[in-house]
Amino acid sequence: MSTTDEESGGVLRSILPPEQVDRFLGTCDDYGWPLLGLGALVAASFPLLGLEGGYYMTVLTEMFLFAILALSWDIVGGQTGYPSFGNMAFFGIGAYATAILTKDFALAFPVAFLLAGLLAVTFAAIIGIVVLRLRGHYFAIATLGVLLVAQQVSRILDITGGASGKILLETPSAETFYYLFLGVLVFEMGLVYYLSGTRFGFVLNAIRDDEEKATAMGFNTTYYKTAAWMLAGLFTGFAGAAYSLFNTFIDPQTAYNGAWNVELIAMALLGGSGTVAGPVIGAFGLHTIIELVETYAVGWQLVLLGGAVIITVIGFPKGVVGTLSEYASQMDYYKHGGMAATDTDDGSEVSADE
Amino acid sequence: MAATQFVVNGLLVGALFAGVAVGFALIWGVVDIINLAHGEMVMLGGYTSYWVLTLITGNAEGSPLLFLATIPVAIAVLFGIGYALQRTLVSRVIGTDIFLTLLVTFGASIAIQQLAIQAWSANPRSIQVSFADPSMTLAGIVVPKMKLVAFAGALVLTALMYVFLQKTRTGRAIRAVSQNPEAAALVGIDVEHTRAVTFGVSSAIAGGIGAFIAVILNIQPQMGLIYTLKSFIIVVFGGVGSIPGALIGGLLLGSVEELVAGFASSQWTLAVSFSLLIVLLILKPKGLFGQEADQ
Repeated sequence: MSTTDEESGGVLRSILPPEQVDRFLGTCDDYGWPLLGLGALVAASFPLLGLEGGYYMTVLTEMFLFAILALSWDIVGGQTGYPSFGNMAFFGIGAYATAILTKDFALAFPVAFLLAGLLAVTFAAIIGIVVLRLRGHYFAIATLGVLLVAQQVSRILDITGGASGKILLETPSAETFYYLFLGVLVFEMGLVYYLSGTRFGFVLNAIRDDEEKATAMGFNTTYYKTAAWMLAGLFTGFAGAAYSLFNTFIDPQTAYNGAWNVELIAMALLGGSGTVAGPVIGAFGLHTIIELVETYAVGWQLVLLGGAVIITVIGFPKGVVGTLSEYASQMDYYKHGGMAATDTDDGSEVSADE
Repeated sequence: MAATQFVVNGLLVGALFAGVAVGFALIWGVVDIINLAHGEMVMLGGYTSYWVLTLITGNAEGSPLLFLATIPVAIAVLFGIGYALQRTLVSRVIGTDIFLTLLVTFGASIAIQQLAIQAWSANPRSIQVSFADPSMTLAGIVVPKMKLVAFAGALVLTALMYVFLQKTRTGRAIRAVSQNPEAAALVGIDVEHTRAVTFGVSSAIAGGIGAFIAVILNIQPQMGLIYTLKSFIIVVFGGVGSIPGALIGGLLLGSVEELVAGFASSQWTLAVSFSLLIVLLILKPKGLFGQEADQ
C-alpha cells in the first residue's frame, strides 16, 4: 500500500504540485466559481467550432446528460450517504412526461420540460417519504424496487404506449439539446457547489457521517434528506425530460434503464463521490470508455461496466478526485512537518496540527 | 375453487423461491452481504443442469431420474463458483461501506449476465422431462408431477442445508462466524475460508434450485435479478437469518403471486410484491420471525 502511494506520489509530484491539486479539486473557495464559468464558456463554444449536428456533438451531449445524472445521484448517494439504485425512476418519469405532453397533449417542449421536472419532484417527494425511512441494504433494494415497479407500470399502461413505447418525430434541433443539457449541468454544478458551502450541505454530510448524531444536534434530518432527494429527482427528471425527445424514442427499457443506474453510480464513484467535480469527471471518463466499447466491442458493454465497477470499488473506493485530494492533503501534511522525515526541504519543526 | 388451485400452484413454486431465498439469507446472516449476484447463481445452476443433460442425451430431454442426476453436478459447480466469488471479490470489500459490497456484487451480476448472453444467447430455454402422465388431479386440483418433484427437491435441499448448518463441524463454524467473527478467529476458525464456504453453500443451493426452475419454468441469462429481488422480499419477510422464516416467506410469496396473476394479471405480480415489501418494511422492519442474525 504505502510503497505504491509513494511511487505514484513521486510521479504525480513532478507533474502536479499538491497545493494546486488541492485547491483545484475541493477546498477551492477562491477558484470554484471562475473555474466553473470558464468550463461552461469553453463547452458552450464547441458548437461554434463547426461540430454542429455531428457525431462528436451527440457524444458530448450524452456526456453532459450522464454528468447530470451522476451528479444528481451524488447529492443523495455521495453527499447524504443514502445509496440509491433507483434514480432512473425519476428519469423515466421525466422522459415519459415530456413524450406524452408534447405528443398527446400538443404542448410546447419548454412547457412540457418544466412540467416534467415538476412531476419528477412530486414523485420524489412521495417516494422519499417512504424509502428514506430505510437505511443501508434496505434503502438500496427498496429504491431498486421502485425503479422496477415504475418500469413494469409503464409497460402495462396505455398512455405510455405499453411495451412498444413511443416514437417522437417533431423534436428540436441537436444544438438545442446540446445547450439544454449543458445549461442544466452548469446550473446543477453551480447549485451543488454553492450548497456544499452552506448549512444545507453540511447537514447532508453530517447525515452521511452519523445520522443519529445529526438528529441529536437538533437538525430535522428528515427534512434535509427529503429535500436532497427531491433535488436529485428534479435534475434527474429534467435529464429524462430532454432525453426522450433527444433520442426521438422512448420505451420502458430505455426510460427505466437499470444498467444506466449502475453506470451513473460507477461514474460518481470513479470520479469521486461527495465532491462537485468528481461525478462530472467520472461521467466524462467512463462515458468515453463506454463509447469506445460500443463502437469496437458490441455486446460486451455490461461485462466492461461490471469489471469497471468492481475495479473501482476494490481499487479506488474514493475515486479520482478523492484519491488525488487525499494525496494532496498528505503531501501538505508532510510538507508542514508530520511524519515525513525524508522530506528534507522543509526540515523545521512544525506541529502536525496547524 | 379457482383460489385453491392458485394457492396450490403458488405453494409449489413458492418452495423454489424459498430455497433460493434460504441461500440468500445465509450470506446475509453470516457474511453480512447482500449478494446481488445471487439470482445469477440460480441462472448458472439451470444452465449447468441443461448442459449436462445435453451432453448425455444430445438434447435437453430426459427421464426424471437422469435429470435428478444432473443436480449434484449443478450443486458442485456452483459451490466452486460461489467459493471463488467470495475469495476473489467479496472478501476485499468486507468491513467497508455496505454500499461498496452491493456495488461489487451488482457489478459481478451484470458481467455474468452478459457473459451468459454471449455464451448461450438471450433465448429462453427449458429442460424437457418425460413423464408418461404429466399431471394428476387430487380433489379437483390439478398438480403437474414435475412441479411436485421440484417442490420436493427444493424442500429436500433446504432441509439438507439446515442439517448441514446444525450438525456438521463446518456448519457450526459458519454459525460461530455469523455470531462473532473475532471470537471465532480466536478459537482457531479460519474465518475467510468459512465465509467462502458459506458463499459456496449458498450458491450451491441456488444452483440446485436453478436446475428445477429450468424444468418447470424456463431459464434465460437475464432472469437473475428477479430471483435476487424475490429472495430479498422473502428474507425481509421472514427475518434475516431465519431459515424457517425464509421457508414460510417463500411459500407465502408464491401464493400471493399466483393469486395476483390469477385474479388480475401476471404483469402485476412484481409491483404487488414490492409494494407489500415496502409496507412490511415500514410496519415491521425486522420481519415476522425477525431476530438480527449478528446481534
